[in-house]
Amino acid sequence: MKFHKLALNKIFTLLFLLVLFPVNVSAIVEPTDKFYVNDYADILTDEVESYIFDNSVKLYNETSAQIVVVTVKDLEGKDIESYATELFRHFGIGDKEKNNGLLLLLALDERKSRVEVGYGLEGILPDGKTGRMQDEYMIPYYKDNNFSEGMLNGYKAFFEVVASEEGYTGEISKANKADGEIELPEYVLTLLGSKLLATVVLLAIGFSSKKTRVIAFCILESITIALFFIVAKYDVGAAVSFAFIGTIFNLAILGDPSSRSYGGRGGYSSGHSYHSSGSSFHGGGGSSGGGGSSRSF
Amino acid sequence: MKKGLIGIGVFAAIVILVVAFFFGKYNTMVSLNEKIDSKYSDIDTYLQRRADLIPNLVNSVKGIMSHEQEAINKVTEARTKLVNAKDLTEKASADSELTKALNNFLVVVENYPDLKANTNFITLMDELSGSENRIATSRKDYNDAVNEYNAYIKKIPNSIIANMFNFKEREYFKATENANEVPQVSFE
Repeated sequence: MKFHKLALNKIFTLLFLLVLFPVNVSAIVEPTDKFYVNDYADILTDEVESYIFDNSVKLYNETSAQIVVVTVKDLEGKDIESYATELFRHFGIGDKEKNNGLLLLLALDERKSRVEVGYGLEGILPDGKTGRMQDEYMIPYYKDNNFSEGMLNGYKAFFEVVASEEGYTGEISKANKADGEIELPEYVLTLLGSKLLATVVLLAIGFSSKKTRVIAFCILESITIALFFIVAKYDVGAAVSFAFIGTIFNLAILGDPSSRSYGGRGGYSSGHSYHSSGSSFHGGGGSSGGGGSSRSF
Repeated sequence: MKKGLIGIGVFAAIVILVVAFFFGKYNTMVSLNEKIDSKYSDIDTYLQRRADLIPNLVNSVKGIMSHEQEAINKVTEARTKLVNAKDLTEKASADSELTKALNNFLVVVENYPDLKANTNFITLMDELSGSENRIATSRKDYNDAVNEYNAYIKKIPNSIIANMFNFKEREYFKATENANEVPQVSFE
C-alpha cells in the first residue's frame, strides 16, 4: 500500500513537471492514434474518416504503402511546403526502404492544400500530376467549402494511383472528376444496356406483329433513355430513379404491351468494414524530399 | 619482472584505449563529412533539374509572351549562370538570381489569363515549383549536416584530432537575402 502511494506520488510529480515544461515544442501536429486520419481542423465527417482509415490500413497491410490525411487549422506561420515536408518526415510516412508514402494536407485558415509525395512514389506521381489531380478532384469542392467531400474524392483518386502501382488487389473505388463528366457506375450501365435491349426487342415485336401500342411504348422508352443520359451527367442517383419512374409512367399510359423482363441490377456494393487488431498505427519511417505540389483555394 | 610485465600491460591497454578513442572520433568526422557531400550532390541534382525545366518553360511561353522579352531573357540568363556555376558560392548566388527572375516572370504571367489556365503551363509550373521546393529541402538538409559536422570538429578534444588530420570547417549553402521573397501580386 505504501509502495503504491509512493509510485503515485512520483507519477503526479512527473505529470506536474510535464505540464510545467512541455517537452514537445515542435510547431507541427503529432500523429493521432489513428495515424492515417488526423482531422485537427475538424472538418471531415465520421464516414469519410473511417473510409480513409479502413482503406489506408488495408493498403498498408498488403503493400506497405501509406496514405495519410491531415487537416490543420493553421500552419503556425510556416509556408505549407516546409510544413508538409516536416510533418511528412516527423510522421515517417511510408516504408523506410521504399519511401512509398503520400500525404494529403489541408490548412483551413490559410485555405491551402498540398499533396506531398515520398521519394519512392515520385515516379508515378510527378509534381505536375499531383497539381492536376488536386485541380480536378479536390479544389472544386474546397472552393465550395465541401472539405469532407473534396478530401474523400481526392483520397480516392490518389488511392487508385498508388494502389495500382503497388499491386493492391483490394477494392478500389473511382473518384469523380469535378469538371469532366461523371463516370457512370457499372450497375447504371447494366441497367441502361438491358433497357436498350428490351426496347429494341420490343420494337421488333411491335413492328412484326403491327402493334402500334408497342411501337409507341418503345418510342416513349427511347425518350426516357435519352433523358436518363442527360440527367445522369448531373446526378446518377436521380437518373436511375427517373428511369424507373419513366418506365412505370410509360406503362401506365399505354398499358402493359406484353410481358417483358428487365435485367436491371441495382444496389451498391458496400465497403466492408475492417477490424484492426487493436495495435497502434504508426509510420514506416519513410521520408520525402519536398516533392508534390500546393494549391490555394 | 612480474611487476614490469603488469606495467607494460597497463601501458599497452591505455595506448590501445587512446588510439581507439582517436579512431572513433576520426571515423565520426569522416562519416559526417561524407554526409555533407552526399547532401551536396542532392542539391546539385535538383539545381540541374530546375535548370533543365527552364528551356521548356521558355519555349512554351515564347509565342504568347512575345512582348515580354525582358522578363524571359532574365530567366534564361540566370539559368546560364547556374549551369556554368563552379563552386558552392557561385551556385548559391546563381540559384537566388534564378528564383528572383522566375518570380518576376510570374508577375508578368498574371497578365496572361489564357496562359495561366493552360494545363501544360500549369503542369510545367508545378514541376518548377516542385524542384524549387526540393532545392529548399535539400539545402536545409545540407546545412543541417554542415552544422552537425562543424559543431563536432570544434569541440574539445575533437578539435585536436580535426587539426591533426586537416578536417576544415565546411561552408553553408546560403540563399542570398530577399531571393525567396515573392513579389507582391494581387490574385484578384
